[in-house]
Amino acid sequence: MISLPVLLGVLLIGFLLLQVVPTDPATVLAGPTATKAEVAAIRAQLGLDEPLWVQFGRYLARVLQFDFGRSMISNRAVSEEIALTFWPTVELMLACLVWAVPLGIALGTMAARRRGTLLDRAIMALSVMGVSVPVFWVGLLLIQYVGGAGLLPFQGRNGPIWTAAGFASIVLPALTLGAVFVGPVARMTRTSLLETLGADYVRTARAKGASDWRVTLRHALRNAMIPVVTLVGLQIGFLLGGSIVTETMFAWPGVGRMAVGAITSSDFPLAQGAILILAVGFMVVNLVVDVLYAYLDPRIARS
Amino acid sequence: MTDAAISLQSAADQKAIAAIRAKNAVWRRILRDPAAALAAAFLVVIVAVAVLAPWIAPHDPYASNMRLRFCPPMGARCPTFLLGADNQGRDMLSRIMFGLQATLGMGVIAVLVGGGLGALIGLSAAYFRRLDTPLMRLVDVLLSFPSILFGLAIAAVLGTGLFSLVIALSVASVPSIARIARGAAQSIMQQEYMEAGRAVGLGDGALIWRYLARNCWPTILIYMTLQLGQAILLGAALSFLGLGAQPPTAELGSMASDGRKFLQIAPGVSTFPCAAIFLVVLAFNVLGDALRDALDPKLRQ
Repeated sequence: MISLPVLLGVLLIGFLLLQVVPTDPATVLAGPTATKAEVAAIRAQLGLDEPLWVQFGRYLARVLQFDFGRSMISNRAVSEEIALTFWPTVELMLACLVWAVPLGIALGTMAARRRGTLLDRAIMALSVMGVSVPVFWVGLLLIQYVGGAGLLPFQGRNGPIWTAAGFASIVLPALTLGAVFVGPVARMTRTSLLETLGADYVRTARAKGASDWRVTLRHALRNAMIPVVTLVGLQIGFLLGGSIVTETMFAWPGVGRMAVGAITSSDFPLAQGAILILAVGFMVVNLVVDVLYAYLDPRIARS
Repeated sequence: MTDAAISLQSAADQKAIAAIRAKNAVWRRILRDPAAALAAAFLVVIVAVAVLAPWIAPHDPYASNMRLRFCPPMGARCPTFLLGADNQGRDMLSRIMFGLQATLGMGVIAVLVGGGLGALIGLSAAYFRRLDTPLMRLVDVLLSFPSILFGLAIAAVLGTGLFSLVIALSVASVPSIARIARGAAQSIMQQEYMEAGRAVGLGDGALIWRYLARNCWPTILIYMTLQLGQAILLGAALSFLGLGAQPPTAELGSMASDGRKFLQIAPGVSTFPCAAIFLVVLAFNVLGDALRDALDPKLRQ
């Protein structure tokens, strides 16, 4: 999954997409009163008059040194802007995963153990609803009923998560983003647990007299976690995207909101940086997922 | 008909096979599941409403009347507005009907375009082994891009609007369909009739079109249907962010976003479009699950 060609491709796509922005950044920077010569000078200064592949090569060399250029709006280094927004996004995602994944696994386990019962059907129905609900509706409902009643803040981040104000401000965004995550996790856990519960080693465990819960938790669930970890890994890419809506709704100062702002204001160094960070983040998560596999299934590490 | 003409089966055999096929037809198995049958019926109604919106909408979705601003459903000021009026006094029900047209329309076009392209990539990757690695790498790159980012980038390049939105949604549905198509085509490639076709001297084009594509398209079509719910959800999210349909266009995502400002005064203005998106996507997903179960009997036991 993580490989140089993929990374290069992501860089190339991000670069090319933002190259064809219809508004000429040199004209924007020079201002409405600038002469043609001034625009041309800025063009040369930015390296915009060179062939695309030269610009791309230069971009690659700079990216390798963590130099993503300067924002055209704030004139701050893009790496600085990313450093500012990176943690809030990670924080939001962790705050979402920390409740949504355990809840999803618990619901999936319950559904699998009580398979075919009303409880199973109710959990599965909830999970389909979770997959189908627009993130922004969850957010709107929370803002309307919880935020509107003055119970919790819903605008911005009031500090790091370990402070009381910071914690209060992350609750609603984390609930919003996590709501769409519980369903797929529960469903995957259920499917995968049903498969492992029928496996020979589970029957062996039962035969030697292990208790029902011990069999479920120690023998079946650990093996059932492999596809669940894959799903969580894959869904991180989806979460990165979904967090854009959440961050925008709740004025959360993260990478996603910054990317929207950068793209709509054709601030392309910043947009490139934001897209690259999101894509690389996705790849790193996949690497972590691979490592987790090896922990869950030692056979993978040995092969 | 040429296929039937060279068939070795007798007419009676063919009739028996057709009867068995009809009995086990995927759609019949799906409709046995009450939830899926309900979802299918709901979608038929929704599609009909979307297509017929210009003729059956009770009011003009763009006719504003400031005296009816935020009129509650069937309120005293607007007894004929079943879902009330929005911030410009427009009939919510009519706007939702037209909104369904826009939202469903963009989803269908995007999935057809993106799915068609994805199928082409997938089939080529399976058929021409040398193309497999480069094409699938390309698909990996597309997959590693969270699809909402396509929407942002394409909106930046082409400007905001339904057109860029459809392109973004198409691009976003290419990679997953390409993977499915490749998977389906690879198993068809193992079949003896592919070898037989090659042995009788058929060219690549004929082999791909007549043997490979025709045997893969049911699978691909089903995944396109599954993808439709996701495309609608993504499109609505992009419109919500202000990157898709622009006001005053009646589109569910942008209507939900518009109504956000009046959440405390008239929650219905954003709640009704949100609920409409939710129900449509839910119906597609329920139907999709039933399709998956029907096609993969292993999961049913």
